Amino acid sequence: MSTSDSSSAAEGDSDSSESNEMVGYRQQPGKLPFSKPGSGGKNRFSEPTDQSMIPESKGGELAQPWGSHRHDGLVSGQVIGKPTSLVDSNWKVTGQAKYGDDIRLPGEIIGRILRSPHHYARVLSIDVSKAMELPGVLGIATGDDAPGKFGVLPVTKDEHAMAVEKVRHVGDLVACVAAVDEPTAREACRLIEVEYEILDSIHDIKMGLEDSENPIHDRGKYHIGESNVQKRVFQQFGNVSEMKENSIASHESNWTFTGVNHGFTEPHAVVAHWDPSGRLTLYTPQQVPHYLHRALADVLEVPMHQINVYRTFVGGGFGGKSDPFPHEMCAAILARKTGRPVRINFDREEVFWVNRGRHPSKISMSLHADSDGRLCGIETDALIDGGAFASFGHVTTYYNGVLHTAPYEIGAFHYTGARVWTNKPASGAMRGHGAVNSRCAVETGIDDLSESLGVDPIDFRLANLLPPHSATITGFRVTSIGMRECLERVKQESGWKEKFRKMPLGKGIGIGCGFFISGSGLPIHWDPNKFPHATVHLKIDMDGGVTVHTGAADIGQGSDTVVAQSVAEVLGLPLDMIRVRSRESDTSPVDLGSYSSRVTFMNANAAISAAMEIRGDLLKATSEITGASTESLVIGDRRIFNKADPAVGVSYLEALHKAQEDRGALVSSGSYRTPPMGRAHKGAAAGLAPAYSFSAYVAEVDVDIETGQTKVERVWAAHDCGKALNPLAVEGQIIGSCHMGMGQVLSEEMKYGRTGHLINPDLLDYKIPTVHEMPLVTPIIVESNDPEGPFGAKEAGEGPLLPILPAVVNAVYDAIGVRVDELPITPDRLYKEIEKKCRKEGIDDPLDLSPPTLDYSPLQDILEERAILHSERDIERRHDNDPPPYHNGALFGLDPEVPGDEQDSRWAAVVIPPEGYLDNPGLAGSAWKHVERRHREGQK
Amino acid sequence: MRMPPFNLHNPSTLEDALTMASELESSGEEFDWISGGTDLIPNYKWHLNTKRNVISLSGIEELHELGTNKIGAMVTLQELAESSSIHPLISEAAGKVASIMVRRSATLGGNICLDTRCFWYNQTEQWRESIDWCHKCDCGTGADCRVIPNQNELCVATYQADMAPVLMCLEAVIHLSSPRGSRSMPINEFFKLDGMTKNVLEIGEIVTHVTLPEDHSEWKGDYQKLRQRESWDFPEAGVAVTWKMGANGPSELRVATTGLESVPSLHIEEASRALENWNGQESVSSLSESIRKSVKPVLNTWFPPSYRRKMVKVLTRRACKGILEDQS
Repeated sequence: MSTSDSSSAAEGDSDSSESNEMVGYRQQPGKLPFSKPGSGGKNRFSEPTDQSMIPESKGGELAQPWGSHRHDGLVSGQVIGKPTSLVDSNWKVTGQAKYGDDIRLPGEIIGRILRSPHHYARVLSIDVSKAMELPGVLGIATGDDAPGKFGVLPVTKDEHAMAVEKVRHVGDLVACVAAVDEPTAREACRLIEVEYEILDSIHDIKMGLEDSENPIHDRGKYHIGESNVQKRVFQQFGNVSEMKENSIASHESNWTFTGVNHGFTEPHAVVAHWDPSGRLTLYTPQQVPHYLHRALADVLEVPMHQINVYRTFVGGGFGGKSDPFPHEMCAAILARKTGRPVRINFDREEVFWVNRGRHPSKISMSLHADSDGRLCGIETDALIDGGAFASFGHVTTYYNGVLHTAPYEIGAFHYTGARVWTNKPASGAMRGHGAVNSRCAVETGIDDLSESLGVDPIDFRLANLLPPHSATITGFRVTSIGMRECLERVKQESGWKEKFRKMPLGKGIGIGCGFFISGSGLPIHWDPNKFPHATVHLKIDMDGGVTVHTGAADIGQGSDTVVAQSVAEVLGLPLDMIRVRSRESDTSPVDLGSYSSRVTFMNANAAISAAMEIRGDLLKATSEITGASTESLVIGDRRIFNKADPAVGVSYLEALHKAQEDRGALVSSGSYRTPPMGRAHKGAAAGLAPAYSFSAYVAEVDVDIETGQTKVERVWAAHDCGKALNPLAVEGQIIGSCHMGMGQVLSEEMKYGRTGHLINPDLLDYKIPTVHEMPLVTPIIVESNDPEGPFGAKEAGEGPLLPILPAVVNAVYDAIGVRVDELPITPDRLYKEIEKKCRKEGIDDPLDLSPPTLDYSPLQDILEERAILHSERDIERRHDNDPPPYHNGALFGLDPEVPGDEQDSRWAAVVIPPEGYLDNPGLAGSAWKHVERRHREGQK
Repeated sequence: MRMPPFNLHNPSTLEDALTMASELESSGEEFDWISGGTDLIPNYKWHLNTKRNVISLSGIEELHELGTNKIGAMVTLQELAESSSIHPLISEAAGKVASIMVRRSATLGGNICLDTRCFWYNQTEQWRESIDWCHKCDCGTGADCRVIPNQNELCVATYQADMAPVLMCLEAVIHLSSPRGSRSMPINEFFKLDGMTKNVLEIGEIVTHVTLPEDHSEWKGDYQKLRQRESWDFPEAGVAVTWKMGANGPSELRVATTGLESVPSLHIEEASRALENWNGQESVSSLSESIRKSVKPVLNTWFPPSYRRKMVKVLTRRACKGILEDQS
């Protein structure tokens, strides 16, 4: 049977080969015929190029109001810019995606962590003997098993796998147990006897500034006084000395932000396995596998090449899975001790112990405006509560300041920031890292300032924006800016003019803006200096499918999809011909991880450069087959052809096979590294990014003035992401950001009780908004076509969160005339403010309150006129391929082409407190009262 | 998060269930009843007062009966929310409980017997160990109350169920069965002031059903619930008001509250005082104020007690809105 089948098949092929025979595929004597390869995809026929997707700079019909882009020539009309389901969505919706806790290895055992019941204590002894005797217990580890320190930032490694000497918060790791099942492991934890010496714990953030008998960590000679100050920042730019005298209106507020947690769906889980070759594979839902990889090598004292970090599907990260974690070390240590795969998965409560959520903060904000309606000064003092460990806090301390030096042109910027250790679960990076709280304070301040000036807050903003291709007051290089369009779109679509200050009591509308980094300019590990931030490898064998190797961690944001889209676009392939392998450090080139909104920008750029190399090979092969010059060729859907005469061309597979002659599979590598940027002052690198995103939201709220309950009814959300590579994903990010930000502004809060315990470490009492609380969100995508971004794209994952908080806060003011300075605006907090207002106005029934009104001052016309002029300026600059330099300060009369401090001594940059500052410092600024130990030693 | 293991018993008749209970009791074994499980199972996962035996009531058909005047203890809250034959106030209150998924499991009997709740109690074992336990689940330590320290007498955990105030306002009678027989009482006599005792149920006794008086359909009413989110959240305060209209205002009036103390309360005195010289809006205001004064919440739920008290006033006023509308 089989013989006759194959012979008949051969006959059939031989028939067709006669008519289809072509160059390069001639049948060799004695060989089976080899048919023409076809297009390569599921559909045998290539689709005609969709001209509406081809940029007008390349003769297509895609309008480019922001000018052309360096990647225009790579557009094949396949997938970029089309709403695209995420490539892994079917895995998820059919339940086949394997998350951390879905990994099952033969012979696995269960690990469980014994945690500290004390806020702060010295561990005097740990006796595991009774626990070891419990049948089913296979191994126990304590801090002694891995005394090495680690931490996500090389400058602040202050974590251990388990307690070494001290425990620093309730829930801190003390020991871990591996047993045959969870109940046994739990029971064994109960049997471990730990002797503690309880130390005085610190819970109040302000206490962290004081000297302490037992600082939570010891930084050796770098320790700041004897305090718990982990990091302090002083920054002064622009004309600080005259900002107050130049002002005609000022805003002052003292904010309290409670801590919030990411609230991702999937609790942490990890599986560690030492294979028979003696290598460790660690399965974990990590956002930043590479830094974990480094930390594991340090702590376990094995070379990195002996470790394979396997990123499972990640059930949400938002920054909460971006540190190397002690429980990951514990699993590896237990697995090494027991010789069995060890799985640890967390209860929700343990997620709150690990935390790394947004810092509880006290931020005081002063804004000053001059008679021209210019923002002549911003003064910020941010004291942030780091909890028990450093985590990303070094960076957070900077971000709380530097990330609000744009989008407005400002006359002066004065920032003092400090991060203190307290005996709470560690704060860290969370979506909108370090920018969210101070942004809320700035944007509500501008609302207040506009009111004092008698102007519309949107017009105030429109008349004070930095132009495209400019430098901020701290020297950030800002390229594309779509801020103006964001503001104009939300103003129009929300019906702002008809609603603002005109709605009845209880109904209100508010505006908020955002500015965020699109990738950090300096990676966390910046040595060696020229190591790329992202690298992508491609491999294409004769089947035509493209294997993409990338280390970028898809955490649900769609990074696998973006990298696949980028490759598909450049090579003219349908998405199903791209397969992404991004899970294992063994096979993936290093990517620095999914943080600081860097992945789309950097990884897609790396993917494009890798795909360009293959594209060059394909064009050359086509040129060899057809005789057409490579310059005359374009790529369409699985076909490479002469642009002027599309009949001259070959299919993708034909070109591929030609290119593979004498070589086999095509492989290429592409990488991305940020260009040199920024200035030289201390801390200049914090906040540097190859591009920045911008956003403006308008929120409409309904406040029940008798109960203080706030319902957000509508949100118009405009975000400038440069270019929406996948509009579906961008809209998802915008809507998701609204949800997450609404949680922080309305209901989410890590509550600490009378005794310092976190009292709501569960999702019933940690109030994430439900579908009922969700407003109708109208996402508005603004595409400012960033010159350096892949196809013009910038980030859309974190920046969209920023504006929702101030937009809601400002809308609440518009509704009831109450300005809050504490988040979340839970009904009880707002009701207190309503009562205060009633008392102040001598009103009994809050229903008799009147909402604020607005009378325009003459400044309004001046601002509107300036906004028109600036709009013309901006359009001119964005179309200019080589616009002249523009430094913050031009609006205040300085030469735009030179940084302010280089032309006016009053604009000097200062990064340590000048004499006299400490006479009357801000709250965080008072951290500078301490002298570092190394400087004190000299004095003694 | 794992529950400790327990033996699950599945009787199919009430008699079997009660027999099982008395057998377990006489052999010194502890047990819990389980109906929908939406309260008990989370508490078991937190290792709160877990027992080695759990008797399920789901197989007992007679407990599922739903009529106009009689509601079996095992009728789910979603059935009540969707029922067109039951008093609309009952449907309304049932529909405000938790989320639809919880309501499909949760039962009327379970809701009435809901365990009291407290920040210091509804936590994992590790967490409670870190505060050295509390009175309500002291794990043999004799621990003090963490809400109001230095009083080892009373548990002040809060009763946060929605159905009780509504049933009180409709003068429902609750029916209990035990191996020693059956007994009935007005539902406001069912509850006992203590966060641990909670109600009059004795070991081995269960709620079988509630009945409503013949005239209950003549009563109109409203239920107002305070919570952070419109789903999932337990009532931080709840006020039910029912009334019968006379010529010049309500001829009868009842007010009951929940979510404020360890037991729900029927405010008989305050209601009758308001009726005495009924004067529309003014009476509603003074009634609301008197209800506010009569409740004493403590700090052990999401909202602070001062706010919850103030809101009782607003909720009462809002629940009375229908009276003023009927009057005009």
